[in-house]
Parts: sequence; structure tokens; C-alpha cells
Amino acid sequence: MKQLLALVAAVALPLSAAGDFTVGFEKYRLQNGLRVILAQDNAVPVVAVYLIYGVGARSEEKGRSGFAHLFEHMMFQGSKNAPKGMHFQTVEANGGALNGSTHVDFTDYFEVLPSNQLAVALWLEADRMRGLNITAENLANQKEAVKQERRLTFDNRPYNTALVDRFPELAFRNWQNYHSLIGSFEDLNAATVEDVSKFFQIYYAPNNAVLAIAGDLRVPEAKKLVETYFGPLEPQPQPQHPDATEPGERSTRADVYRDPLARVPAVLVAWPGPQRRSPDYNAMVMLDLVLTEGDSSRLQQALVKGRQSVVRFEASLGYPFGGSSEYVDPGIYGVFLTHQPKVSGREVASQVEVEIAKIQKDGVPVKELDRARAQWRAYRLREMQNALNRAKLLAQYELLDGKPEWITAELDAFLSVTPAQVQAAAKKYLVPEKRVTLEIVPVPKEAK
Amino acid sequence: MRPPALALLVAVGIVAAQTVDRTKPPQTAPIPAFKLPPAYETKLANGLAVELVEDARFPLVTVRLAFLEAGSKVDPPDLAGLAEATGTLLKEGTKTRPSKQIAEELAQIGGSLRGEATRDSITIGASALAEHAGRLLELVSDMGRNAVFPADEVKLYQQNQKQRLAARRAQAEFQADERFNALLFGSHPYARVNPTPEAIDKLSGGALAKFRDTYLVPNNAVLIVLGKLPARAGLLRQIEQRFGGWERRPLPARPAAKPPENKRRIALVDRPGSVQADIRVGKVALTRSDPDHFPLVVGNAILGSGTSSRLFMNIREKKGYAYQANSILMRYREAGYFSVITQVRNEVLGEAMDAVLAELDQMAQAPAPAVELSNIKNFLSGTFVMSLESQSSLADQLVLVKTMGLANNYLETYTTRVRSTEPDQIQKAAQKYIAPGDATIVVVGDASKIGEALKKLGEVEVTKVQ
Repeated sequence: MKQLLALVAAVALPLSAAGDFTVGFEKYRLQNGLRVILAQDNAVPVVAVYLIYGVGARSEEKGRSGFAHLFEHMMFQGSKNAPKGMHFQTVEANGGALNGSTHVDFTDYFEVLPSNQLAVALWLEADRMRGLNITAENLANQKEAVKQERRLTFDNRPYNTALVDRFPELAFRNWQNYHSLIGSFEDLNAATVEDVSKFFQIYYAPNNAVLAIAGDLRVPEAKKLVETYFGPLEPQPQPQHPDATEPGERSTRADVYRDPLARVPAVLVAWPGPQRRSPDYNAMVMLDLVLTEGDSSRLQQALVKGRQSVVRFEASLGYPFGGSSEYVDPGIYGVFLTHQPKVSGREVASQVEVEIAKIQKDGVPVKELDRARAQWRAYRLREMQNALNRAKLLAQYELLDGKPEWITAELDAFLSVTPAQVQAAAKKYLVPEKRVTLEIVPVPKEAK
Repeated sequence: MRPPALALLVAVGIVAAQTVDRTKPPQTAPIPAFKLPPAYETKLANGLAVELVEDARFPLVTVRLAFLEAGSKVDPPDLAGLAEATGTLLKEGTKTRPSKQIAEELAQIGGSLRGEATRDSITIGASALAEHAGRLLELVSDMGRNAVFPADEVKLYQQNQKQRLAARRAQAEFQADERFNALLFGSHPYARVNPTPEAIDKLSGGALAKFRDTYLVPNNAVLIVLGKLPARAGLLRQIEQRFGGWERRPLPARPAAKPPENKRRIALVDRPGSVQADIRVGKVALTRSDPDHFPLVVGNAILGSGTSSRLFMNIREKKGYAYQANSILMRYREAGYFSVITQVRNEVLGEAMDAVLAELDQMAQAPAPAVELSNIKNFLSGTFVMSLESQSSLADQLVLVKTMGLANNYLETYTTRVRSTEPDQIQKAAQKYIAPGDATIVVVGDASKIGEALKKLGEVEVTKVQ
């Protein structure tokens, strides 16, 4: 982290050392291709095991929408030596927590346990990487669970269907990017045991995964355990991912979604974002902080406080699909705002654009960017207090960048963004010609 | 993708696989012992309790200023939401700092700060980069002592709060919580969980200032400073400087209120168009200081915590009625409640209700088997250890001890007390607080789809969604 100190001095930041904290780790690869990252920190007797597979909703084929997510459910239906229910029971009986989640570009699984239980987590993850109980009964059961999850998370909650089903259709033209993350009931119903087994074989192989372990571990002992449980697994041919490139330049698009569950109108304003890890990506992360982070941010002061048109908002590079850390191009910078009924979503979108135009014209004062820098540093430090978050970032950066070092290096990259770069990013990306606007209008039940 | 692996593997080539029995979970050592970081406690002359905890793992500092008796329970009946508004608006302007300046000063130190009201108390929670501990304390002190509630900020809060409430009101779980608490707590102030639009309209700078002068006083407060701290003597001097001149004031006495006795009633909140039914089944329960507390914690966890619990295994995994099924145990300063929470498909409401009630009966009728009990004790102990990882979660635990009036060794002895509960104690606690004979049942859903099924359980009181 000495490098950071040098950078800090060069741009005369009032920050004292960010270098008083760093995440040490060791990275290596098993013979079967499994990438392993160990990050030892023995302060609290907690260990996090985080396993990430290089398959997400964007990897799905047409007619197979929702497979990545359906499969995530199947991963909890039992494996060779750990029958259905045992995974949950074993982790919880040992005082741990576990879950899995499906993202656009990956699917992840984790266990957080008291540190004496590291071997248990590795045994469970390796056992289900080796082979799953993909039976007709389990599949039918999980199709129902996925549908029920959809009812709960989408069909019965305001805004979600608009954001997750309608918005991608508006923002993207390549099916890989615009199809529903959770999938259609039609595709789910059509899934056979054979389809699911094939999916497992292709994507759930050690050479398509990264294993990160963080927290209260001893490296030599952890290495032995990893080799013991994961070493014997067979690699598979490296999977091919469908082309997610968006065709050509896009023009502005807008739509209105009538939401019978919403009571407060909302609008999602979005633009295509930059390439991950490019200088523009760093600049966009800082621009987002200036615009939307905390009470001193531009949108809070101008729209919530000043015009009083907006009730609340959320935003990030990657929104609404994920945060900046998992953003992969072609991606989106999205700002979601719920607003007073006295203004239209279109007007709110214009008000956001007025604030962006100010940055495009006048740039961002150094003092304001300094605030964003302090906010990011504090945000990242808070996040890294948890072993699971450290493991997540290390594994995601290995999978998406081939470089877990970004866990601390990106702080350097973000903090060294200059006011001129922020202004240039605003001019290049947040332009009206590329804007995508989705208004969400409450519709009374009677009028449905 | 594979070639680079070989070179690296040679480098770590000494690592040899052990021969293990893969058919069984590995045997492991017991949970390692862990001691909480030591706390230093003192009190200022004006009655402000001070607790300092050095935890230098991360260069951050976390502060809590908690006002013990100041939550929604002390809201005047026609001004529900006053405590919440007071907490939220503390950072929107003080005698010397306008709202925008507070926001900018906070951002400069990588800070976050918010005032939050619970049913019992108001807590200012804040954190910042460790090197700015002094500036953070200055801001917390200013919020706690000198908030002025400017008229335009109050007006904006009223306007937005009404929108937020309308948005939340659109959610079935919000409707269920509101109805459930109203029925369960009757005339006790815990019955109110949300302000009405009329009460929000009535808020004024004057009412907020009166609340501040009455409850935000040092003799009703505890200051917790945790993290990578400056040297103690200097830190105590700073605290004295920023909080020492704060004047003590007598707190008003509040008539003791008791929640009503539990009784069986069935309430349906009609929400036309609901694709599923949101269910609550629960009872008024106890506080953390009650002798039955730890047995009930363990019993509730067996029934409804996590994915190995009886409710989850039965309602979701075995029957497939719902995506989620769990139970919660809420504990406040004066009382608490137990409740099952699940959302089931309309078509299976009747069967799902029967299954839930049977699980509750079972808790009261039979002692928990030894394996289940030992698993759940490990679960609770492990979960507790994991709540100590971050400064904010540790600070929240310390605030809990103070706001709930618990013994100082509550956190240290938590795991031991969980581990020492016996099956007969759990069953006894379940008979009092889980057995469903006198439970309140609330269902939010489409009456035309689920009304008939619900009637089979008894008389149903139907209201429209608010």
C-alpha cells in the first residue's frame, strides 16, 4: 500500500494513510484448475468459504432462461454423501450461515462458520461439486420453489417486475443481456433432468470456479484441507460463453410501466457504462459518489432538498443488476428515484440531467471529490470487516479480472481519479442521446 | 486455462492430500473461545454514561449516543411518529450548522450518521475513519444537544414521510405487521407501529423541540465509543469538553402500562388481488430479563430460525406451501412478542394454517430431542460469535445491553446461558409463549380467495387494507 501513499501525496489529498489496512492473501491453482485464494486474519474465530462459478444469467441459452437460478436451487438438493437437507443442517448445526445467489455473470455459494468448522464447509462444497442428486422429484420441487420465489419477490412487490423484466428489454438488444434473470415459467417448466445434468457438467467444474477462504485460518492447514477435498475432482472442457456484445450504437429509449402494486411513482434513468477496469470505469465510480452518495451528494441536495421532487433514490454503476464490483460490460449506470406525484417521471429524469449538465459544464471542485474519496475509503473499510466480504471481493476479482489484487489496488485507482476525469466521464457517458428512461406509474387496482 | 496451474502447483507441491472418509462430515475441534474486547466505563457529572471499547482491527471509529427512554412508546397518542421524526431530523440542522454543512462535514471524514427511534429509545449511530474520531464526536454531540428542527426540514420530512408510508403500505407484510401489533398490544403503546398521515401533518418544530428538551438529556443517555481509538486520557478529555456542559434535567414519570392478556382471535385484512396470503400467528411474550428468556430463545430457534427449523422443513421443504416460513422473537424493554411469519399460496391457505398450528402445538406438547437441541445451541452460539465481526454490530450489541437494561455480563454469558437450557425449561416456555390456543392470527390476502378456508378455524374479523 506504499504506492497509495505516494499517490495521495501527489494529488495532495487530505487523507492520512489508507495504507494502515491491507488484505494479505495467497493465490494458487490446483492441478484440476480450481483457483484458490487464502486470506488469513485470526482476529475473530470466524471463517468464510466462498465459492464462485463462472456461470450466470448471461450465459443462458434461448429457451433456457432461468437455468442459472434454477440450478442454484438444485445445489441445495443434496449431493453424493450429503443428502438433501444435510447441507443446511450441517452448517447451521455448527452455528454457521450459508446461501447462494445468481448474478448476471456468476453464481456464488458461501458458508460462514466458527473457524473450527472449516473442514465441514470444504467437505460440503467439494461433495456437491463432485456430483449432485439431480432427480425428477428434486427438480419438480425446486421448480415450484423458484416460482414461489418469483411470486414473493416480483409479482407481489412494487417496482421489481419493471426493474428486472421490463428494464433489460429496454436497455439491451442482445437476448443474452435482456432476458429475465429469474426466467420465464414456460422455460422453467420445460427443464428436464437431462438438461439440468448437462448444465452441471459444463459449468460446475473445478476449472470454472474460484474458491476463496478468508478469516481465522492457518494457511498450511487450509491448503491441506483444500487439496484433500477438491484435489481429486476431475476438470471438464472449458465452457464457452455466448456472445453478449450489444449491436452498434444505441439511441435514447423511454417507456412507461404501469405497476398495480406501486403507490408512489418512480423512474429509472440509465445510460450504457464504460468498460470494466478502464480509467473511465474508475471515473464513473467516483462520479456516481459525487452524484448520489450520502446527504451531501448532488441529487440529495438538488432534488430531495432543493426541488423536493424526489423522495429517495439509489444508484450505482451496474444498477439495477448489481454494484460496481460485479459490473461487467456491456453494463449500465442506473439511478432509480421514487418521486412526488406532483411531478412526472419524465420531469424528474430531466432534473437529474440538469444536475449532470452542471458537472459536464463546470466539473467537480477538488473539495467535493475529496469528500467522495473519503466516503469510498470508509465504505470499503466498513465492508471488509466481515470475512465473507473479503472472500467475496477476492474471488469475484479473480473470476472477473484474473486479479484479486484489485481488493486493495482499486482503492488506489479510484482515489487517484482527477476532477477532469470525472467531468470527462460525465460528458462521454451520461448524455441525453444514450439515455434509457423507464417511468413506473402506479395504477389503481380497479383500473388494472 | 490449465497450463499455468502446473508451475504454481509445483511451488506448493509439499501439500499432500490426506486420506479421509468422504461419506461423513469431518470431525472438528470445539468452537474456539473468544473474549470480547474489554470495555472501560465511566460517568460524567451530568449523568451521561460513557463506555469506551478499543478494537483496533480496522482504522475506523464507531460512536453510539443512545437515549434510553425516548422511543415511540413515549409518543403522545395523537402524535404517533414524533420520536421517529425527532431521531431522523437531528442531523437536519443545529444551532451552528445548517443541514448541508453537517452532510459535507460528515462526508469529509468518511462518516455516516443517523438518528433512529425504536419502540423504546432513540440512538444516534455514527462512524468515520479513525483519524477523525474527534470530529465525529463533535458532530454527534452537536446533533444530540443542539438540533433545531428548521421549519423547511420538518415540512420536507412530513411530505416525504407520507410518500414513504404510502409506498410501504402497498406491501402485504407491512399491513400484516400493523394489524398484528395493534391486536396484540391493544392499549399498550407498543401497539402503534406506524404514524397516520394525520399525525404526520400535526408534527411541528415546536413539538420536536419539546420532545428534545424532555428526553434528549444526558442523564437519559449512554455514549459508546468503539474502534481504533486515540489514547484514553485525551479521548476522555474530548468527551468531557463536548458533553460535560450538557445540562441534566428530570425525566417525566410514565404510567406503567401492561400489554393485554393473550387471546385467540382471527383477523383477515382483505387485499384484493393478492397472489398469496401473508400469515402471522403469535402472542405477547417476554423481555430479555425474564427467567424464561433463554429457554424461549432456544425454543423459538428450534421452531423457526433458519433453514433447518421445523417450520422451514415442513412448510417449505416438505409441503412446498411457501418460499419462506420462520418465527421471530421480538424483545423490547417492557414486553415482547413471538410470531410465525409465512406467505403461502392462496390455494393452500387452509392446509398451511393447520400445519403451522400443529408445529406450535408440538413445541408445547413434547420436549425437544437431544440432537435437535444440541444443533440449535451450536447454531445460536455460532450466530452470536458472528455478530461480533464488525464494529457496528458489536456497538449495536453494547447499545442493546444499555437500552434493555441488561446486566453488564449479558454478552459474556450469552453463549453459556444458551448452552445450559434444558428440554423441560424450553417446553414450559413454549406452553406459555408458543402454544397457539390463545394466539392472535392475522392474515393479509384476497378475502374472496382465502376467506372460506380461514373461517374453518373460527370466527374471522375482516377489515379492508388501509
